[in-house]
Amino acid sequence: MKILVYSSFTFSYLNRARVLFQTLRRFHPDWELVALITDEPPAGFTFDPASEPFDRVVWARDLGIPNFEGWLFRHDIVEVCTAVKGPFIHHACSSGADAVIYLDPDTALLASLEPLERLLEEHDILLTPHLTDPNDDDMAIQDNDISTLRTGIYNLGFVAIRTTGEGARFARWWNDRLLSYCYDDIPKGLFVDQRWCDHVPALFDRVKIVRDPGYNVASWNLSTRKIAIGKDGVITVNGVPLRFWHFTKLGAVGDAMTKRYAGTNFPVYEIWAWYKRLITEATDPTIPERWWAFGAYQDGRPIAKSERVLYRERADLQAAFPNPFASGRGSFQEWLEHEGA
Amino acid sequence: MSGSARSLARRIAARLLKRGDEDRRLVAAHFDAAYYLASNPDVASAGGDPLSHFLAHGWREGRDPHARFSVQGYLDNNPDVAAAGVNPFVHYLRQGRHEARPSAQTLGFRYQAISRLAPIGDQIAAATQASAAVQVGSAQALAKALGRARTGLAHLHITFSHDDYRTKVGGLQLCLQQEAVGLANRGHDHLHLFPARPWPVLRATGEAGGLEVLLNGESLGVYAGATVAEVLATAGPTGRRSFAIHSLLGHAADETCAIVEAAGLSAGFYWLHDYASVCAGFHLLRDGVQDCGAPPLDSGACSICVYGPARTRHTAAHAQLFRRLSLTVVSPSEPTLATWRQGGDLPAAGAMVHPHATLAPRGPASASEGPLRVAYLGFPVAHKGWPIFRELALAHEGDDRYAFLHLGAQPEPGLPVAFHEVKVGPGKPRAMLEALETHAVDVVLMWPLWRETFSFALYEAIAAGCAVVTGPDSGNIAAVVAADARGWVLPDEAALGAAFADGRLAELSRATRKPMLYDLTLSGMTLDLIAAEAPV
Repeated sequence: MKILVYSSFTFSYLNRARVLFQTLRRFHPDWELVALITDEPPAGFTFDPASEPFDRVVWARDLGIPNFEGWLFRHDIVEVCTAVKGPFIHHACSSGADAVIYLDPDTALLASLEPLERLLEEHDILLTPHLTDPNDDDMAIQDNDISTLRTGIYNLGFVAIRTTGEGARFARWWNDRLLSYCYDDIPKGLFVDQRWCDHVPALFDRVKIVRDPGYNVASWNLSTRKIAIGKDGVITVNGVPLRFWHFTKLGAVGDAMTKRYAGTNFPVYEIWAWYKRLITEATDPTIPERWWAFGAYQDGRPIAKSERVLYRERADLQAAFPNPFASGRGSFQEWLEHEGA
Repeated sequence: MSGSARSLARRIAARLLKRGDEDRRLVAAHFDAAYYLASNPDVASAGGDPLSHFLAHGWREGRDPHARFSVQGYLDNNPDVAAAGVNPFVHYLRQGRHEARPSAQTLGFRYQAISRLAPIGDQIAAATQASAAVQVGSAQALAKALGRARTGLAHLHITFSHDDYRTKVGGLQLCLQQEAVGLANRGHDHLHLFPARPWPVLRATGEAGGLEVLLNGESLGVYAGATVAEVLATAGPTGRRSFAIHSLLGHAADETCAIVEAAGLSAGFYWLHDYASVCAGFHLLRDGVQDCGAPPLDSGACSICVYGPARTRHTAAHAQLFRRLSLTVVSPSEPTLATWRQGGDLPAAGAMVHPHATLAPRGPASASEGPLRVAYLGFPVAHKGWPIFRELALAHEGDDRYAFLHLGAQPEPGLPVAFHEVKVGPGKPRAMLEALETHAVDVVLMWPLWRETFSFALYEAIAAGCAVVTGPDSGNIAAVVAADARGWVLPDEAALGAAFADGRLAELSRATRKPMLYDLTLSGMTLDLIAAEAPV
């Protein structure tokens, strides 16, 4: 089976993506690895795709999204990096690959994903739920069970599809929805690309909900997953091999949630320590922290979320300012200063 | 500043002072000054008030106010307190204890050990940097110094290890002390080589690092390995010569081979005091916290382990060493040899078991009265199982079924543990054995995280009539305890905790067991093997 794996990120997450792709290369040297980047390299950083651990780069700008600047402006960094997953997976269905896998840049493989290939022989769409076992503890219910009711049952740090049949139909549908409705707007029932996929088991056939606890282990499901490392060197989760980990919120928040639910299950801390060492090695100091080329207007002034939302909600502004990133006379930025207030 | 602003500033300053005084009074009631000073020798030597130090600086530096409160543990468990930037002990006393927030580190000592792990590359870089600064002597200087040799180096035994056996304390060092005594008795020369600066791993070819040279227990200074080889190659007529490798940490395999060959040798002995020939993590402790069992290098365990990236440094260097020299592997115990065989396939000339010590009965022990006396022996370090003993002692403080003792050279203060200083060394080889008898210890808790290759402490405990309680990953300890019914091998730490809690441990009292006492006789180490091959 010819498999394409992609991840969507900006340059501030290049270190994480490097680690993900290194681990993918280790276990799957024959898979095609694609970096989907919605960004431009910062000055002072030389981006050489040939020396990166992926096979090719696709720039979001080249996905054929109509009125790209205006469309991009309507999203913050998380919204847009999740929104472009739809157009890419839709294109990838006609790339010659038999199956496409998406993995978030902050995931990393700890063993082969080969069993997924077997599942894709029988199914067209694979999803991993945030939770595969219910919690009983009140804090865990609040943190995990209720939280996922707001943000989506399935974690879209992973999705895998066949490029034909129901897989292709899903890709087309997801593309269409994400181009118009990929926003972090929980009161309106949206949480970027993720809430949409709550519909998947109802809208599509040949869907497999992967409940194997070895996939997509993260702080939000550690309360029901115990990690062990045998003398044979195999890392297991609830007795089955650990396949990939989702290192959500690298930093103080991720540490706090991990400690809350790992407790004394110390192999969890070994895995995090390993990941942090790899991230340190993969970090290029010439990329400024929190860098994003589309986080500011042309003159360098940061774009506020409220300005993006205003532009998103006003078709007249979209029509009047097709490139809202521009600065100077006749720009959306100027309009904001004079009229937007 | 206006008058009202000045008044506000004065009021704020006064409030802060008042709050500081309240904090001080609150903390003072629970602060263990003796513990603080003993745990922080730098504070003790600087003088000054320990409470003031804790309130001003100590808590920010992760220093604990007493043995039961972990500053770091409290911050780890309470990100809101960490974010607020307040003194965690003050927060606990004011608020946390009323909210049932735990005061101790609840993530376990292994979490703390993992959080302190430095990448092996950083450790190697630090050793490289330290070694680069070492000044080495000339060949002429070394040749002149070697003129003090007993036999002009004709009858010469060369040993390699990671440190100075004369001043460092441990089983390996004791072995070398034995060899040194044996060689002195025979009137032979003993040349001992160890890295001038400590190394966490073997040196690779080209990584600089001077060797300190000891001749018959006297330091001749630091020299490059090539210089040692050069001088040995031109030393006078050779007689009975031999060599033994006790540890290669800080040595480069090709350099070691060159030194041995310069002395006209190729056949010698390689001791298994640890598992450095299997992995750079020579205790076979994955990330320093759990016995790994030496799984395949491409396993998930080795992939995440801090030592994984350096494992081939050790296996490749040892392969080179074993191919170039004719080495007989000597293990102090059967399980150690089995682990070594499982961990690789080095082309050894032979392999044998030669215990460091043997036991001979010397009569029954006297029974003791009172609570069960449970002891920990040696340095209070994690890989020897100190945190496990520490937790049990804290959990059973005030429990009149048990008395906890620590026999060793270095105490941890502030614990419900009676510390008795015991220093085993040249001239006092029986110090631990005698202390165990004097204090009528019933049970020695030996819960090392790693597979002990021999463990003198095990034999000292048995010789003194103590029962030994250990875990499944303790190597020779578990093997001896199980084979000779010297105590219990429990499946895990939960079972250990249960045995203390339900009192079943009392079955191991001297009164119930009526144990035998033994004499402990140390072997001659490598000299026994040389004698066997070529009697003097």
